[in-house]
Amino acid sequence: MSGSAVVQARRLPAGGRINRDQPIRFSFNGIAYQGFEGDTLASALLANNVNVVARSFKYARPRGIVGHGAEEPNAIVQLGHGAQTVPNLRATQIELYAGLQARSVGAGLSVNFDLMALVGACGRLMPPGFYYKTFMRPQKLWMTYERFIRKAAGLGSAAAEPDPDSYDKLNQHCDVLVVGAGPAGLAAALTAARSGARVIIADEQNQFGGSLLAARPTIGHQTVALWLTKTLAELHACSNVEMLARSTVFGYYDHNFLAILERRSDHLRISSPSVARQRLHRVRAKQVVLATGAIERPLVFANNDVPGVMLASSVSTYVNRYGVAPGTKLIVFTCNDNAYQAAIDWHQAGQHVVAIVDTRCNPSGVVVATAKELNIDVIGGHGVIEALGKKCLQGAVIAPLNADATAIVGATRQLDCDLIACSGGWSPVIHLSSHTGAKPQWSDAKVGFLPGESIQQERSAGAAKGTYSLLDCFSEGAYAGARAAQLAGFGNGTVSTTTPPIEELTEQPQQALFLLPHVKPVSRAPKQFVDLQLDVTAAAIELAAREGYESVEHAKRYTALGFGTDQGKLGNINGIAILANTLGQSIAATGTTIFRPAYTPTTFGAIAGRDVGDLFDPVRYTAMHRWHTEHGAEWENVGQWQRPRYYCQPFEVMHDAVKRECLAVRNKVGMLDASTLGKIDIQGRDAAEFLNRIYSNGFLKLAPGKCRYGVMLKEDGMIFDDGVTACLAENHYLMFTTTGGAAAVLAWLELWQQTEWPELDVFFTSVTDHWATATVTGPNARKVLALVCDDIDLDKDAFKFMDWRDGTVAGVQARVFRISFTGELSFEVNVAAHYGRYVWEQLLAAGAEFEITPYGTEAMHVLRAEKGFIIIGQDTDGSMTPADMNMNWVVAKNKSFNFIGQRGLTRAACQRCDRKQLVGLKTLQPETVLPEGAQIVNDPAQAIPMKMQGHVTSSYFSASLGRSIALAVVKGGLQRMGDVVHCPLADGRSVAAEIVGSVFYDPKGERQNV
Amino acid sequence: MLLITCPYCEEARDETEFSCSGEAHISRPKNPEELSDEQWGDYLYFRTNPRGLHHEMWYHVAGCRRYFNVTRDTVSYAILESYRIGAEPGSKTPASCST
Amino acid sequence: MFEARRETVLQYALADLVDKKPADAGVILREDAFIGHLNLRGNPDDAAFRAGVEATLKAHLPVKPGYWSAAVGASVYWLGPNEWLVLVAADAAADVQHNLRQTLAGHFSVVDVSGGQTIINLSGDDAGLLLKKSSTYDFHPLSFAQGRCVQTTFAKAMALIASRKDGSYDLVIRRSFADYVVQWIAIAAAEYGFAVEP
Repeated sequence: MSGSAVVQARRLPAGGRINRDQPIRFSFNGIAYQGFEGDTLASALLANNVNVVARSFKYARPRGIVGHGAEEPNAIVQLGHGAQTVPNLRATQIELYAGLQARSVGAGLSVNFDLMALVGACGRLMPPGFYYKTFMRPQKLWMTYERFIRKAAGLGSAAAEPDPDSYDKLNQHCDVLVVGAGPAGLAAALTAARSGARVIIADEQNQFGGSLLAARPTIGHQTVALWLTKTLAELHACSNVEMLARSTVFGYYDHNFLAILERRSDHLRISSPSVARQRLHRVRAKQVVLATGAIERPLVFANNDVPGVMLASSVSTYVNRYGVAPGTKLIVFTCNDNAYQAAIDWHQAGQHVVAIVDTRCNPSGVVVATAKELNIDVIGGHGVIEALGKKCLQGAVIAPLNADATAIVGATRQLDCDLIACSGGWSPVIHLSSHTGAKPQWSDAKVGFLPGESIQQERSAGAAKGTYSLLDCFSEGAYAGARAAQLAGFGNGTVSTTTPPIEELTEQPQQALFLLPHVKPVSRAPKQFVDLQLDVTAAAIELAAREGYESVEHAKRYTALGFGTDQGKLGNINGIAILANTLGQSIAATGTTIFRPAYTPTTFGAIAGRDVGDLFDPVRYTAMHRWHTEHGAEWENVGQWQRPRYYCQPFEVMHDAVKRECLAVRNKVGMLDASTLGKIDIQGRDAAEFLNRIYSNGFLKLAPGKCRYGVMLKEDGMIFDDGVTACLAENHYLMFTTTGGAAAVLAWLELWQQTEWPELDVFFTSVTDHWATATVTGPNARKVLALVCDDIDLDKDAFKFMDWRDGTVAGVQARVFRISFTGELSFEVNVAAHYGRYVWEQLLAAGAEFEITPYGTEAMHVLRAEKGFIIIGQDTDGSMTPADMNMNWVVAKNKSFNFIGQRGLTRAACQRCDRKQLVGLKTLQPETVLPEGAQIVNDPAQAIPMKMQGHVTSSYFSASLGRSIALAVVKGGLQRMGDVVHCPLADGRSVAAEIVGSVFYDPKGERQNV
Repeated sequence: MLLITCPYCEEARDETEFSCSGEAHISRPKNPEELSDEQWGDYLYFRTNPRGLHHEMWYHVAGCRRYFNVTRDTVSYAILESYRIGAEPGSKTPASCST
Repeated sequence: MFEARRETVLQYALADLVDKKPADAGVILREDAFIGHLNLRGNPDDAAFRAGVEATLKAHLPVKPGYWSAAVGASVYWLGPNEWLVLVAADAAADVQHNLRQTLAGHFSVVDVSGGQTIINLSGDDAGLLLKKSSTYDFHPLSFAQGRCVQTTFAKAMALIASRKDGSYDLVIRRSFADYVVQWIAIAAAEYGFAVEP
């Protein structure tokens, strides 16, 4: 490769905000190129004379770069490769970095490979509405079609590997958020900052300045450039201002919450685990100034998609900002004064302007005169009606037009050119405004949609509001900034900014022009593209209207107008205007589709932030957690808690471990970390009354030192939670909840106390984390405890089942409960969690001579199921009453207060005898363990759909009983003891089981009382 | 993302600190046993779903753990006021302020 | 016979971070372990309750939402309209609880929650940025000055966060979430330089 001058054939010899001393090598579609620091991928490609950057998705036509920013519809690339690849980026917004690799999205074949054009010929067979018409039936094939459509649509592809980069979020608060750092935005930020308000100003470009960056340096005798430098310096120096470059405000949500995507290292292409590649700023702003500028609107004429047809402002930008001439022979095609600047810039850069073709009959005014003084040929009353060429522009057909540019009124002629800079006027960037729900308002004067009335604390300024004169943008921005600051409580709304003393050129009115006539009617003319990304033509929109899709939202969906990743930033207004014209109505009456977040595509990585991997969801540990990890625990997640499921010894699999643990509890002694159970301290004069109202069973007579099992119902009578509550002292209780239900129960108690019974004096405090709990259970439990506790009388008559005692365990102040979830003799030892691991280890040491065995939740489940103890959320599902669980004993009949759920239980539906009821199931073949969730039927031979009788809720192999056991809910099951039912399984087998009582082990409950 | 003022913390906080507890001003009947199934069902299940002003209860779960009420416009999502349990809303809609 | 041994909440989580000691750390974490934590409930409009609490603790009972007060023996944090966190020396928790029970009358509650939570002190120039990454609350020094405290979300957990005189922040977090919180802090603070102070 030789010197850059040769390589970068279209680079101008001087000018631009690029660093010619820093050449950068990159590749596009596998070919190596060179650009300069300060280039975008697009400007570097144009500098290298790369005309064709994509194939269009429906017709496979060659496409070139059209714009220079977020609006770019064609140069959509897949950046990078492997794990870090990013699809659907706009080449116009990618800063060039060394080693950059990009390729056209979806271009399986080379963009220059003409065979694709043959495929594209099939596009003729794809009229608008093609997808609806072709793929809607049969519906089940849609999934198959969709895969091919997506591939054809060139949407790029996400990385298949995990993303090695990190992303994070920052929660921001400010008084004034300014979106966009062009002339209006900078003026707004400056006035707001001077008032003392906390200001954030964000801009999607790498440099602040917006349109000023592309302005010729001599504009207004250099005062603009000077103003930009001074303004940026002042803002940088303000401690109350945060300036976010490379930061796209992509969404405006409720209550002035805005989301900004900051690209922090994309342009450096360094990967660091500690520095986020992209950062999501979640901004809560008191006031917002939207200075998002405007996007130039292309003109729609035949073959207007040939590479070499660009926006006029983009041509100026490439010349002035990047020192690139994207062609040699320029035609400026316009219906307004503004685009003349492109011809002037081009001429000043020493390039040849073929002509300015202006659809207005007698273009006049200052800018026209300037062009003419430069000897630029201005052809008024004409329009470009067709571009010539395929892969690159080879000429333009122009024709004289009538006054409103709707008809050709004379002979056409050809002009030689390789670049057309076209301009149909400007479309304000009202996306963020419309995110707020503000309805865009059409303005005939501005020939564009303007921001509607907002319900949020925001205002637009500058080009975003249809204000295109530079001087007006400065003053409007300054006023908006002052007003926003004032409403946020800073300053008095007066403007202190000095705008640069620039001469304002008076502009002549533009012509409203959305579709150029052709010698043939629209339906027969060469394609006149409206939406370049999705290949929507003027003919397609007219057809949609003719077929009855008259609503703009319907027409959009029918034609796919604006459905691309660019959301129709270039095409929408022309499309709506063509639709309106076809329907013979005004644009205002036709209305517009509504923009939704995100303004430009946003990575999932940024939205996920740091909440990935280990930090995806908090994992809660008990005080004994480290001991469990050191002793082979396999885990079960219960809510956010991590609990040992079982402890694997060498050569054991889960089944062996669970069997060993269960047998140890039944025959010797076991120990469970029960710290995760929810615990709520309840104090107050009315605590007992409160408990009596909230539990289905009675709590008024629970004495200090005693515990009681209780069930909580929702008002509909359905079981919500269960657990033991202990009376610690007069008016002082400790409530245990299920592990998963702790937060919900606390909220439930607070709800009733705060909103219904504020007259009850009772306070609730969560003590879940304060206590570490070791459950010692099994025939030898008392002997173990006796070795470490000498100040509690452990005698079975002194310390009865359902009693609790204060004492000292292994030298630590402890609270011991005689409650049992295994059916064995059990002591639940509670100590302040700092001592949790210590006491756990002391109990193990004391229990060593009895072969004490730590057990996990799986053994716990088996042991409780053997006893028929239910687990809320496993055996119940929010539609089970105590009666359904065969637990009528827990429902008090004669409380003075109608407890929560009592009325619900008396509803007719809760009294039906064919409700699903908890029973036991014994499979006829004892070794067969039913899958949990298996459906139960009476006759497995019946036709599908079978009549369901219920389902299996818990199912295990019981080592103690030497057979499988299951709990199930079966319609009217309590009246069906001894019946054989069947569980048809997914694999075609059907398992027969006998309905039995739900208590399999020690039915009289003697073992826990010893 | 709503910004909700907690009348106890006397500050506007992010929606993520709260959980919504449904329609406000639903009082538990004093004598549930005297109600018909239909009347009980009305209390238990039937809620207004207005287009416009709605009084709803929120729980400041990550903050002071107090329940309070909010008047919110279900169209614009604008929150007109937050007020403590037991207080009457300043902005009333005839439909939802019967209790 | 027994030599009771206690562990700090962050004993293991911080042990995993021992090598994290850059000299120019922007965020420095220290666990203030084994402090006495008492949850106090009562009616702040009850003059006797307020007087009783203040006499026992010899500290101001903050009734203004979002403030905490520091005194020699106790710090008191506003948690809610009738709820405070009282921090005292570890060994004093039982005595203070006893004294409060002796002094107060009427409707109140005192609960020892010392085992259930711990205090993380975050100092360093970038501690404020770390909070911005972790919580939606506005910790700008103008609004969250010394003496302010707030209960809010911290990453996907919750915390009571207090602003101290020395410019550092105290986070009171629940024991079971502590490992998650420390892991979050270590990762979020990595770009500023992260150190653990013993």
